[in-house]
Amino acid sequence: MITGEYAVIRSAEPDDAPALWQLYDPSRPRSFLLGPQREIMIPTADELREMLGRRDLVQGTFFAVENKQGLVCGCCVLRGAKFESEYAEMVVAFGEDSEYVTPLAEEVFQFLLHMAFIEKKLNKLQAHCLCTEIAYREFLVARGFESDGVQRDMVYTRGRYFDLESFTLFHAAGLTRLRNREVEDAAAPA
Amino acid sequence: MALKSSVFIRRADRDDLDTVVAWMEDPAFQRFLYGDPTRSPKQIREQIVGMLGRSANHSMPGGIYFMADSAKLGPVGLFSVVNISWRNRSCNIDSYVSEKRRTGFFATIAFYRVLEYCFHELNMHRINIYIYGFNTRSWRNFELSGGKREIVLHEHVARDGKLYDMYGYGLLRSEFEELREFFKKKFKGIDLAHMIEDMKTTQQTEAAP
Repeated sequence: MITGEYAVIRSAEPDDAPALWQLYDPSRPRSFLLGPQREIMIPTADELREMLGRRDLVQGTFFAVENKQGLVCGCCVLRGAKFESEYAEMVVAFGEDSEYVTPLAEEVFQFLLHMAFIEKKLNKLQAHCLCTEIAYREFLVARGFESDGVQRDMVYTRGRYFDLESFTLFHAAGLTRLRNREVEDAAAPA
Repeated sequence: MALKSSVFIRRADRDDLDTVVAWMEDPAFQRFLYGDPTRSPKQIREQIVGMLGRSANHSMPGGIYFMADSAKLGPVGLFSVVNISWRNRSCNIDSYVSEKRRTGFFATIAFYRVLEYCFHELNMHRINIYIYGFNTRSWRNFELSGGKREIVLHEHVARDGKLYDMYGYGLLRSEFEELREFFKKKFKGIDLAHMIEDMKTTQQTEAAP
């Protein structure tokens, strides 16, 4: 469990299913909901509970994010870390878009950066967002992610197609952000 | 220009196993298609047996495998239509063309026919192709078929201890229809309907006393 100034980040567990299930909102298409075939997948609360019970899937990859009031307000995921390709996909999902501009979101991002580039020594992090995820896109771009391009009409849901944009943050840029943050933290008044 | 080609596409089956296994010896087969260094030749072979051995049933398949074949030339290549999403109406295509047939129109004609099958028989809306940056022949071929390079994933694929770029291409149905109109005028005979007609004619000729 990581206890930060604004957030508590810990491995998600079956009891988190009711809170995390709120993120699986079919009326709000998000890249977070895409499965391997880029289809929107909405599990039932029971299926989600079952999935969170699988330690091989969840341990070290799927984290619940609590705010200081102890409420689960989102999750972060580092999935598909492949040793030979040296990359993983990062997901940061919150119940409310307004959360992306808070210090809590920055703390979650720093946690993922540390895990990807210091612990797992990955070469790059990837992220995706649908064309309607404005707040998430701004969150990624503000943190140094660069666009790899847009795949047109990639996802069909709610009677229309959505474009999917891919982003990358390389190791060097990620480490710079981590170091800058450490310097800022050290300079901040106690 | 009327285009006559002996190359046709058909569903791959178990009888093609020896051909595909022989192609596996081609370094390009592993470098461009099955390059995961952690997979053994046995695992690759088992995957291919699984692909070719799939029996027909009533459910919609997750993948369809085509052999590009020719009565004159023998098997020319393998085209895999995989990751089919019936919800998004999209799929990925992987292709392999035998070393002897990489020059000439064989691959282009077979590939065009697979595209037509995907859009007009499977009712796809979009086709994805992921091609390694060093596979220049393949991505040029797909660009000639109207595919748009939409994403470039830098340092994405590990080969021989180095990381290479991967290109993500997309072809939408509307773009294919434009291309089809162009091809129909320019290369009459390239489409599936002509392929079927040509096959019928060949069979009738062969059966004639």
